[in-house]
Amino acid sequence: MLQTQELQVNIGPQHPSTHGVFRMLVTVDGETVVDLKPVFGYLHRNHEQIAEANSYLQNMPYTDRLDYFNSMANNHAYAMAVERLAGIEVPERAEYIRVLMVELTRILNHASAVGFMINDMGAWQTPLAFGMREREKILDLFEMASGARLMCNYFRFGGVVRDLPPEFIPNLRELLRALPAYIDELERLLRDNEILLQRAIGIGILPPEVALSYGVSGPVLRGSGIPYDVRKAEPYSVYDRFDFDVPIGKVGDVYDRFLVRIEEMRQSKRIIEQVLEQLPDAKGGHINPKARQNVRPPVGDAYARIESPKGELGFYLVSDGSTKPYRYKVRAPSFINLTPLADMCRGYKVADIVVILGSIDIVMGEVDR
Amino acid sequence: MYDMLTALINGALGWGWPEWALNLLSYILIVTIVLVVAPLQMLFFTYYERRVIARMQDRVGPNRVGPEGIWQPIADGVKMFTKEDIVPQAADRIVHFLAPCVVVAPTVLMFAVVPWGPGMVPVDLPTGLLFFFAISSISAVGLMMAGWASNNKFSLLGAMRAVAQMVSYEIPAVLSLIAIVIIVGSLSINEIIAYQAGLIISNRDLPGVPDLGLGWFVFTPVGFVAFVAFFIAALAEGERTPFDIPEADSEIVAGYMTEYSGMKFGLFYLAQYVLNFLLCAITAIIFFGGWQGPGVGWLYAQGITPANPNGNGLFNVLAGILGVFYFLLKTYIFFFVMVWLRGAFPRLRIDQLMDFGWKFLIPWTLANLFSAALWVAFTRWGPAEGMLITVGWSPVLRWLAAFVVTLAINLGVYLWLTRVYAASQAERRRAELEELSAAA
Repeated sequence: MLQTQELQVNIGPQHPSTHGVFRMLVTVDGETVVDLKPVFGYLHRNHEQIAEANSYLQNMPYTDRLDYFNSMANNHAYAMAVERLAGIEVPERAEYIRVLMVELTRILNHASAVGFMINDMGAWQTPLAFGMREREKILDLFEMASGARLMCNYFRFGGVVRDLPPEFIPNLRELLRALPAYIDELERLLRDNEILLQRAIGIGILPPEVALSYGVSGPVLRGSGIPYDVRKAEPYSVYDRFDFDVPIGKVGDVYDRFLVRIEEMRQSKRIIEQVLEQLPDAKGGHINPKARQNVRPPVGDAYARIESPKGELGFYLVSDGSTKPYRYKVRAPSFINLTPLADMCRGYKVADIVVILGSIDIVMGEVDR
Repeated sequence: MYDMLTALINGALGWGWPEWALNLLSYILIVTIVLVVAPLQMLFFTYYERRVIARMQDRVGPNRVGPEGIWQPIADGVKMFTKEDIVPQAADRIVHFLAPCVVVAPTVLMFAVVPWGPGMVPVDLPTGLLFFFAISSISAVGLMMAGWASNNKFSLLGAMRAVAQMVSYEIPAVLSLIAIVIIVGSLSINEIIAYQAGLIISNRDLPGVPDLGLGWFVFTPVGFVAFVAFFIAALAEGERTPFDIPEADSEIVAGYMTEYSGMKFGLFYLAQYVLNFLLCAITAIIFFGGWQGPGVGWLYAQGITPANPNGNGLFNVLAGILGVFYFLLKTYIFFFVMVWLRGAFPRLRIDQLMDFGWKFLIPWTLANLFSAALWVAFTRWGPAEGMLITVGWSPVLRWLAAFVVTLAINLGVYLWLTRVYAASQAERRRAELEELSAAA
């Protein structure tokens, strides 16, 4: 019998495909993963503590930096939390604009997540370029509305900072026309490629009960076959007025997470179309004119959660009656979705680790706050 | 080379040089070709690859240094030379230094047997093909040395992958070439090219076919299967996508090259691109006739050859130019396919790679070997060899029978193997998993 030895390999913190500074201490037996220990904290920048020293409004641009792909979604969750805390009303039109922006964010995030994941499988940038293509057009729309492409800082307490510019809607309609073909193309890129199928099917299976016990949310949970979506489970904003489906996977492998993301892009497009139908009749302006931005909420606490593209994003705020939050806590979906990583990787090959990590779709800015 | 020089200097130019001077000059030229053309090809390939991939990704690619960025590889070379050479403290210094040399030397040696045009092979070995593959296996040793001496886990993983992959893919590569060797009956690369004169089909088995230089093996069922199998194996040997597993940058950083910097890294790079060039070249030579193409054979026949000592030396030169053009054109097209695959495909996992090699490619090439034997039997054997069916058939009929039989066998084996092994392997697994989770 040949004597064999297990090998410990550090994947990260400086590694091409850990999506930022993230370390995995992997024990391998040849090419097979025996154990994996995720180590994070390399990007810790004391976000929550700093936020407690800022006024409520100062934190709005700061939330952009959490998950820098989806600044609009972060803004939304934070604005909702402060509005609950201070009891601020949001006009109907502002709610529609918010939903519009967050759904655009979802399309953008899922498209690039799919692109990055194929990149992790070893494709040389080309699929990523496909994933990024429509993202550029969405970012152009964001720039039109907010003036910034990534760090939008668009939401305010009681609405959004300014109304949609007149050229926004025609541009959006043009984008929506091109979108179905684009999503189909992205799906074909996946479904028609035997190599990709072999790398994705049966890899990183996350059984539903394990997913639940870890508190996983978002496309990862739905990929495991649990139809949980905050937009349906606890409709916030104006989500109860839209007709959309929650796609779920059957097995819970990398492939399912892929398909769920693709399908969610289609559902987001449906929601945006309904927003465009209902937006002209919506009452009120883009912001509640009575809402003060330098809020001084009464003593108390509030929790608001939304379905961000990566999962359930929550903000918990405690007010002591001053202009600054007494406690500011972020429930970051990337962080919680990352916790079952070891369970997902055990028994698979070294090459699968990066693919599984890519299929969770994490952003380190949100994992290490 | 000697023949060509004689034709040019004493024939076309009429200078009347002595034999020793011609011999000396021909060896100087051979060494120059081997040592200069190899790195030049590599330089051009890096530029070519970057530009093609950039085009695929809607970028421009290198376009600053010189017209259209053509001098970019030179600038990269200068950068490589001026970089600090870092040896990790825990590395085995001697082996670490030797590894790049052991990897590069065989790839440069392989250039010695590549024929560039009619009569333009540096060293015409009677066992050229054997030499080519025997030498190419040596670099696996260098890769293992690099991985071991670096004392880095990524390097070791990469080296083990590289060696496993190269060793297992050499088998289908050689098996597919043996099919051609059986038909030709020689290991000499020149012989194999000469066999591919004629039109669409081999001129040896069908006398009287005009020589258009299109008798490529790829047009026969045996040659086509061998070509596909060989090219796939070449992708694995040259560590190209989808088999670039040993240096999978998204998994193990850069594989065995991780701990190399400066010109040592440059040497690995050189070896890899030179090997890619050679694999493309050998594909073009064995299956696409090398320098064979319309016009070359006719031009060469007018020149000075052993059969025609009174020809015009100018035609030798013209045939050489046209031959090199055809040869490089074919080689670059194959390299384009390699780049194309790199731009489009993700990579396989190491176990899937092994599966594919051992369970699909090797059985397929073995069946192809049988077809090759049948081809020879149908076209050449008579009653003396026990081939009684074909007695009295015309050469055309024999050739057609060989074509149909080998096509049927190869196609049948392919369809059977795809049912047993590949095609919807992933989808089958998916269906299993869905059943499992539905039951739970």
